[in-house]
Amino acid sequence: MATRLQFENSCDIGVFSKLTNAYCLVAIGGSENFYSTFESELVDVIPVVKTSIGGTRIIGRLCAGNKKGLLLPHTTTDQELQHLRNSLPDQVVVQRIEERLSALGNCIACNDHVALTHTDLDRETEEMIADVLGVEVFRQTIAGNILVGSYCAFSNRGGLVHPHTSIEDLDELSTLLQVPLVAGTVNRGSEVVAAGLTVNDWTAFCGSDTTATELSVIESVFKLREAQASAIVDEMRKSLIDTYV
Amino acid sequence: MPRKPTRRRQLLKAQPFTFSSFARVASAYKVKRQIRHSKVYRKSFPNSSGNGFIDHAPPDKSEQSESSDEEEFEGVVQADFAFFDPKPDDFHGVKVLLQTYLDDKQWDLSGFVDLILGQTTVGTVVKTEDDEDDGLYSVVSTLNLGRYKDHKCIMELKECLLKVCQEKDVLDNLRSLLGEQAQNVGLLVSQRVVNLPPQLLPPLYDALFDEVSWATEDEPTEELRNSFCFKFYLLVSRIYKHKNAVQKKGPSSSSDEAIIYIKTEDEIFHQLSSWSFSFPLRTQQLATRELRNYRLMGLVMVVEADKVSMFRQQLQSLINES
Repeated sequence: MATRLQFENSCDIGVFSKLTNAYCLVAIGGSENFYSTFESELVDVIPVVKTSIGGTRIIGRLCAGNKKGLLLPHTTTDQELQHLRNSLPDQVVVQRIEERLSALGNCIACNDHVALTHTDLDRETEEMIADVLGVEVFRQTIAGNILVGSYCAFSNRGGLVHPHTSIEDLDELSTLLQVPLVAGTVNRGSEVVAAGLTVNDWTAFCGSDTTATELSVIESVFKLREAQASAIVDEMRKSLIDTYV
Repeated sequence: MPRKPTRRRQLLKAQPFTFSSFARVASAYKVKRQIRHSKVYRKSFPNSSGNGFIDHAPPDKSEQSESSDEEEFEGVVQADFAFFDPKPDDFHGVKVLLQTYLDDKQWDLSGFVDLILGQTTVGTVVKTEDDEDDGLYSVVSTLNLGRYKDHKCIMELKECLLKVCQEKDVLDNLRSLLGEQAQNVGLLVSQRVVNLPPQLLPPLYDALFDEVSWATEDEPTEELRNSFCFKFYLLVSRIYKHKNAVQKKGPSSSSDEAIIYIKTEDEIFHQLSSWSFSFPLRTQQLATRELRNYRLMGLVMVVEADKVSMFRQQLQSLINES
């Protein structure tokens, strides 16, 4: 199910939060309303952690992560790093990386299997991503934009990309990511889809300006209507136990 | 996937993702044109559809080129601003400008922006000629409080203003203005980017007040025509007030002014206002050295509609002399 909300009058939810299948990060300083909306959807399923990164609230755009790991920019303070390591589940590897392009959320878009990255990312960073997040990394552009993390949002079940993405590019990306993709907008025509929405395999949060049409597109491409949180999280648990054997 | 080489991409390559749309335009002009060493600064106001503007002859002004070692370009950026009627596509630009209109209070800002954009006969948005970048630099409009009184955003705005008003003597005035007299009150919304050239202000305000008077004659229904016959204009703005409340009598040793107006026209409005009050804001202000003795405050003013012609004259002379 997709939920509409605001962070202090801003509809850019994807800027102030980061949602994955194993945890959810939210920015501090917003009203309790913001935090409690996430909590009410995710309580008992995954932890919701309040944090800042480098003293800022734009955490969604600074970090990149999935259920296996979380990558933080070099601007993250030691206390924030420790706080995240303590609050997140043990199976999530939290790593701070030295990368010139420090807005990792804008440069990297990923789900639990594949990541798309900015074309100018360092080689070492690419290796880190593959290592920490356990994904296959592809350098790509979306509708000619190099900030792939800003212009597309995808989960393990579907993805939403910049509205001006051509059909050929959509097909190519879809083959790469192995999920159905749709070109669309969020927050009443905003092209920066990842800023306006944050999504995982069973739920999504988008800005309150999102129209009913946009919301229905989001719910259908990410397959949120039939999704049940417990089923997916249990699947994860089974696969974790498998690795011990 | 090979990057498609279009003009837009090359522009993006040349600069980082800038938040300020003015910065984007400024660097776009730098990249697109050769760096001009001539020192002519020109702005033109072309005839835009529906506004009924007389084409102003662009005044040529010679300015000293500012040599700044930090910036890559010398001289002055040439920019052509154009005035347009508000349209639904301007939603995001106007919303960004009005983000802090009511401090950090969570209210129906989207609804408010929709009201402004829905009123095409009165209201102006300032954009550049170039269609590629639809950055919005300024929005000016007047909303009749009585006409829109049932809209959630207007109700929330009234509630907010009544709550922040801490001065007892003006509270009754405010309550009557927002209540029984709402039909005669126009909420004057004016917001712009900080670095918009002040030479644009007289035509911008002239446009607004001209449109209001034309609307009193041109609107299709009598009710609409009457809704633009404002007796009062209500303004919500921001100022920097000196922290020392007590004013020094006689020649003061410090050259500090009591109030610093963020928008130049607010000073004129404040002088002409029938009454006004200021209220503390919850958002933190930027702590700069020059403003260390000042506190950022909200300012609400009410100006009688008869004073508009005086305002226009004073604004013209203020801008021309500076």
